[in-house]
Parts: sequence; structure tokens; C-alpha cells
Amino acid sequence: MDISIIIESLPTLLNATLMTIFLAVVSILIALLLGFFTALARISKIKLLDAIASLYVSIFRGTPLLVQIFVIYYGLPQVNIELDPIPSGILALSLNAGAYLSESFRASILSVDKGQMEASVSLGMTYWQALRRIILPQSLRIAIPTMSNSFIVLIKDTSLISVITVTELLQMSSLLIAKTFEPLTIYLLAAALYWIIITVFSVMLDRLEKRTSQHIAL
Amino acid sequence: MSIIQLTNLKKKFGTNEVLQGIDLTVNKSEVVVLMGPSGSGKSTLLRCLTFLEEPTEGVIQIGQQEVAAGEKTSRKRKNEIKELRKRTGFVFQQFNLFPHKTAIENVMEGPIVVQGVEREEARKLAKSLLEKVGLGERCDHYPSQLSGGQQQRVAIARALSMKPMVMLYDEPTSALDPELVREVLQVMKDLAQEGMTMVVVTHEMNFAKEVADRVIFMDGGVIVEEGTSEEIFNCPKEERTKRFLMRVKEE
Ligand SMILES: Nc1ncnc2c1ncn2[C@@H]1O[C@H](COP(=O)(O)OP(=O)(O)OP(=O)(O)O)[C@@H](O)[C@H]1O
Ligand SMILES: [Mg+2]
Repeated sequence: MDISIIIESLPTLLNATLMTIFLAVVSILIALLLGFFTALARISKIKLLDAIASLYVSIFRGTPLLVQIFVIYYGLPQVNIELDPIPSGILALSLNAGAYLSESFRASILSVDKGQMEASVSLGMTYWQALRRIILPQSLRIAIPTMSNSFIVLIKDTSLISVITVTELLQMSSLLIAKTFEPLTIYLLAAALYWIIITVFSVMLDRLEKRTSQHIAL
Repeated sequence: MSIIQLTNLKKKFGTNEVLQGIDLTVNKSEVVVLMGPSGSGKSTLLRCLTFLEEPTEGVIQIGQQEVAAGEKTSRKRKNEIKELRKRTGFVFQQFNLFPHKTAIENVMEGPIVVQGVEREEARKLAKSLLEKVGLGERCDHYPSQLSGGQQQRVAIARALSMKPMVMLYDEPTSALDPELVREVLQVMKDLAQEGMTMVVVTHEMNFAKEVADRVIFMDGGVIVEEGTSEEIFNCPKEERTKRFLMRVKEE
């Protein structure tokens, strides 16, 4: 292993790492919204909403992420929907993570004791007021661990969109290897960078979890 | 003047008829204690009163608001049910406080969300209610930082925050350690003395003797017998009442 290779590659790889973080953060934000509204649709009494949401969840949990990426990037242009690599990647990642998150949101909403809803409506609140003010704040706190986990998985999954030429960390590593012929050094360096960002985010999310879960009986 | 009027109230769970046609009138400032063996339908009766459980048949009137059972849901009906609930304070066996809110926030929630009261005004009201139940010093504690007895008193204050015409209690002390029962019963007694109308499901005989204007004994979804606590406890007429009282006294 040549130390100078590390020094030369590092700036490029750090740049690519920023791209990876960008992809993960944007995708998780979209996925959180998507997952949240899908969960609401799943518990709603309107059958059609529930059916559409269930279908979405079933499709995106039931197929490989890589296939989803290919369908969006290579498949959709055939019906005249052409997206650039980065939007395609973000779309695939957030649709995929949103499907998983919706399931954990739904479970966490259902896990709030039904006495909470009864106490709320007994005060004269409507179903939606009770959901918004009483049920959802509790279920979101319950869901924080699974949200953290989804985010970690999502960071790793960003490596899959290297296959559609997005120059995130893994794609950039491969490009560097083509120049330097040092696969072991470069890939280990990439692995180290993934490990660092995941560890940093884990610690941050752990703190958040501790802060918010104080007064919730689980 | 009657506060609650139930006419032929029935409730079926599947084929199981849990309430078999209850007629009941509760007058202003009256304290009614409801007793009966497990499964006799006491909780179901209270829950049907505010449509936490949809009754199968019958008419419920609280104050001037009347709602009939088993009608299709419509916006108008939802509003009528909401009116019933606003007139009624419900106190649960398990307290059901909002765990992510402090004691005072629990009590402020109804006025703010349902009545649109200003935060500061709601805070003042909540503070005075918490003082009334002896928890003026515990305003900023979360439910998890309070004892069971304190939590139930916060729950009572929360129910009072909507200025209800009647308070319904479903076994308010049966989830409590014995040494905490008294403080909750005392708060309820004080309320009764102020003239609050109350329906209380409880097996606390002493509370019934001291506070109840009327004791109702239920079994198998019907009212078996009712009277003053003296009549019911000292000379029950029905065999089922006698058997039940024997069992309660043994405990
Ligand atoms: N949601 C429900 N679904 C089906 N059956 C129910 C439901 N709630 C109550 N029941 C049944 O209705 C009957 C009366 O129950 P209820 O809870 O009203 O009795 P209770 O008098 O309050 O008893 P306890 O003293 O044990 O609280 C019981 O047989 C119970 O199994
Ligand atoms: Mg009961």
C-alpha cells in the first residue's frame, strides 16, 4: 500500500462522500414524508386510500432496490419520462425507504394505547385533533429507533445508485481504481468513509432518541 | 331537573346483549353509585353514555343534547356526539393521561384545542383546577413522575377543565395502591359536596355510604335494584344483590 495514493485520492473521495450524504439526507426527508402519509392512508377508514397505500408498500418492499433503480432510470424513458441519474436515484431510494418507514409508522401509531384516543375524544376533540395532538407525537417518538435504522440502511443503499453513473462514494472509488490500479487501498478507504459517516450519524440519532423518549412509557 | 336521561339503552357485542334496555335518570347534583359483578355491563353503560361505544338501541340525553343510537354517521351526528362529550367529564380506571405532556398541559389541552381558549387563560384555569385537587405544586411534572393517586387527580382536573355538567367515573380507584385510594376519593367527595352531578362505578362501600344519593345494582345487563345506600346495603330485596354484597364485604 502506498501512502501517497491515499493522500492523492482522499480529497476526491471526500467530495464523493458529500454526495453520498446529500443523496441520503434528501432521500430520507422525502421518505419520511412519504412514509408518514402512507401510514395515515393505511389507517384511514377510506378503503381506496388504504388499498393504494398497501399496493405501493407491497411493490416496493417486494422487489429488489436495484430493480427499482433500473426501472426508473432505464425503463421510464420508454414512456417518455426521462430523469437524470441523481433525481432517478433519489426517487428510487425515497420510494423504497418510504415503503419501509410507512410500516413502522403504522405499527407505532397502532401501538399507542387506545385509552389515549378515548381520553382525547372524551374531552370533545375530533378524531383528527386527537391524532395530531395526542397520538402522532407519541408514535413518532416510538418510531425514532426504526427511523434511525432506516437512515443507516439508506446511507448504505446509496452505493447501489453507482450503477446509474451517479458519482457518489462507491462510483468515485471505482473511477479512481481505473486510474491507479489500487483496488484494495481505495475500496478500504471507501469502506472507512462509509463507516465514519454511519457511526457519526448513529451517535447523533442515539442522542436524539434519548432526549425525546424521556416521558413516553413504552 | 334531569342531567342524564337514558331511554331503553341496549348494547350488543355480536350476539351478546350486554345492556338489555336500561332506563335511567340522573338529576342535577345527584351522586349515583353503580355496582355489580364483573361483566355486568357497568363500563359499557358509562361508555355508551358518551358514545365511546356505539349503543345498539335507545336514546341518550345529557343536558339539552339528545342523541339516538344506531343512526348513520353524518357530520351533524358527529357534532351532537361531540356536544355530549363536552358536557361530560370521563375519568378512566387507567387514568389515560397524555404521557408526553406535563400535568398542567394535560389540563390545558381540552380548553385550548376544543374551545379555542387562549394559552394564558387556559393555564390559569388549569392551575386553579390542579390546586383544587391538591396538586398546585406538581404542575410541571410529567405523568411518569407522579404517583397513581396524583395521576388520577390530574385526570379529574383534566375532565373538569371542560366545565362538564356531569362527571362519569369508571372504577377510578381500582388501579391504585390501597394507600392512594383515599386521596382520590376525597377529591371526588369534595366535588360532590360542591354540587357536581356524578355517576361512579366503584366497589368502595364507604364512599357509597357517605356520598351516594342513590346506589344502583346491575347484573347481566339490567338494573336489578336501586335505592339509597342504606336500603341497598342494609336490606337488599333481591337475591342477586345479597349475594354480591356478601362477596364484596368478604374482600
Ligand atoms: N369491546 C368489546 N367487545 C366484545 N365484548 C365486550 C366488549 N366490551 C365488553 N364486552 C363484554 O361485555 C360484558 C360487559 O362488560 P363490561 O366491561 O361493561 O362489564 P363491567 O361491569 O364493567 O365489568 P368489570 O367489573 O369487570 O369492569 C362482558 O361480558 C364483556 O366481555
Ligand atoms: Mg368495568
